[in-house]
Amino acid sequence: MTLSEALASEFPTYRAFFMKPPIPLLEIKELYVNYGGIQALQNIDLTVNAGEVVTLIGANGAGKSTTLRAISRLINPRSGQIVYQGRDITRRPAHEVVQLGIAHSPEGRRVLARQTVLDNLELGAYTRSNLAAVRADLDRQFEIFPRLAERRLQLAGTLSGGEQQMLAIARALMSRPKLLLLDEPSLGLAPAIVLEIFSIIRDLRATGVTILLVEQNAKLALERADRGYILEAGRITLTGQASNLLNDDLVRKAYLG
Amino acid sequence: MDITLFVQQFLNGLSIGSIYAIFALGYTLIFSILGIINFAHGALFTLGAYFTYALMGEAFGLNGLLANAALPVKLPFALALILGSALAGLVGVAVERIAFRPLRRKRADSLLTVVSSLGVALVIVNLIQYLVGAENYTFPGNTYGNLPAAINFGTAEKPIPIRTVQVVIFGVSVVILTILTYFINRTKYGKAMKAVAEDPITASLLGINTDGFIVLTFFISSFLAGLAGTLVASSVSIPGPYFGIAFGLKGLAVIVLGGLGSIPGAVLGGVVIGLIEAFVPADYSAYKDAFAFGILFIMLLVRPQGLLGRRFVQKV
Repeated sequence: MTLSEALASEFPTYRAFFMKPPIPLLEIKELYVNYGGIQALQNIDLTVNAGEVVTLIGANGAGKSTTLRAISRLINPRSGQIVYQGRDITRRPAHEVVQLGIAHSPEGRRVLARQTVLDNLELGAYTRSNLAAVRADLDRQFEIFPRLAERRLQLAGTLSGGEQQMLAIARALMSRPKLLLLDEPSLGLAPAIVLEIFSIIRDLRATGVTILLVEQNAKLALERADRGYILEAGRITLTGQASNLLNDDLVRKAYLG
Repeated sequence: MDITLFVQQFLNGLSIGSIYAIFALGYTLIFSILGIINFAHGALFTLGAYFTYALMGEAFGLNGLLANAALPVKLPFALALILGSALAGLVGVAVERIAFRPLRRKRADSLLTVVSSLGVALVIVNLIQYLVGAENYTFPGNTYGNLPAAINFGTAEKPIPIRTVQVVIFGVSVVILTILTYFINRTKYGKAMKAVAEDPITASLLGINTDGFIVLTFFISSFLAGLAGTLVASSVSIPGPYFGIAFGLKGLAVIVLGGLGSIPGAVLGGVVIGLIEAFVPADYSAYKDAFAFGILFIMLLVRPQGLLGRRFVQKV
């Protein structure tokens, strides 16, 4: 990381004044998704710049997970465009999107319960062929998540909820993503573990991973993010700097309680 | 029952059981990935036997479009066996394209896919009959080269002769099972295949091409069917295009007995049914199938998930 990048990640103002306007890593344009007969997403415009942490806030069923699922190509949009690194990925199959550098830690964690922790992590690096680098990353995950190292030969199905969440994040990181999609990393976890996971997210951001975070805990997410989007019934109703959203009266009333 | 007869029947049972095991494994692989029984599996068993027969340069009979035709090459049995099974594997891949994939794309009910695989089975059987007739084809006498007809597993005074074919069948089955177990549990692609079986959505999020692995699974499964078909045919003969239908039903009994979707279950189920059949008294040998299915029936009442099956099959 260069000095100017380091400054930019620490001080958003520095970026705003002294750096070139950021190139969007991901750009979603006029996205519409139908889901079981209902319009799940309507006219979504969303940008994620390299190095940012962007969060999607909204009530249950607002379309947060659907947005992530559209990006990682688990569902087909009805219309609109998803552009990643200048490439249109709107119709690419899901497994190719991973190869391009997008990793998705999905809703409900979805660890492979019948395989070991180690196998889950190794499968996270399925698209990579440099075995030495994969091994180094594996060690790094075990450093970040020491609890996974202790349980490396245990079946993933036997892990606790918090450990499964860590595994889902670590597995996503094993693909060396440029863009990490995190879906509800705090769901159903004890407060102490939530804090632990969010501190890991902060550390990740320092390593240059761009993160699109879906979260129900709006306060925590906005505190950790650069920018945020508010989703309501499949539409984006508000967007801005996370710090501004934190202080916005409407957001406070609806999501921060 | 005296001891030599017992040992002899036990070894024969193991041999038959091992062939049931690799055949049933084909069902299991597809079932664990798609949650569907491929009813064309028995037809691919038949097809493998015909392919190998043809690759050995043997002529076909009087009836059918290919009457008296023979390939210009005469491959040795081992090579013909591998190639013939591989051809069955490729037909399996085509079956997936024609009978499975279009319905999967439309998210059709799995019952429809079962019916469509049954349809493919009938097409294959009828096509065989159209091409080479319904007569009995016997593999040439020198199929197993200069090997003796039987091998003695006892002593000179108390011989326990086992047909060489049975020994070869057992050996080939063990080798195939070992390779397959290693592939699935120890290699990257095997683990990816298990991931597709457990949760295809997660697998695709990890960058695994799920459709590619479904194709690979059909190839392996149908290769196993073709291999089993050839080995059984080399032991008895190819009695006709309906050869694989009865065997296909037996295979179903094996996987239900062992536990649907369980690979060790398929192997255990195969060996158990093979041994049961071997110990059916000679007077009742015509009712072998009834014994096998009788055991299956009792099993379903006592332990419906099978010997090694999971009690609750989780499908996401």
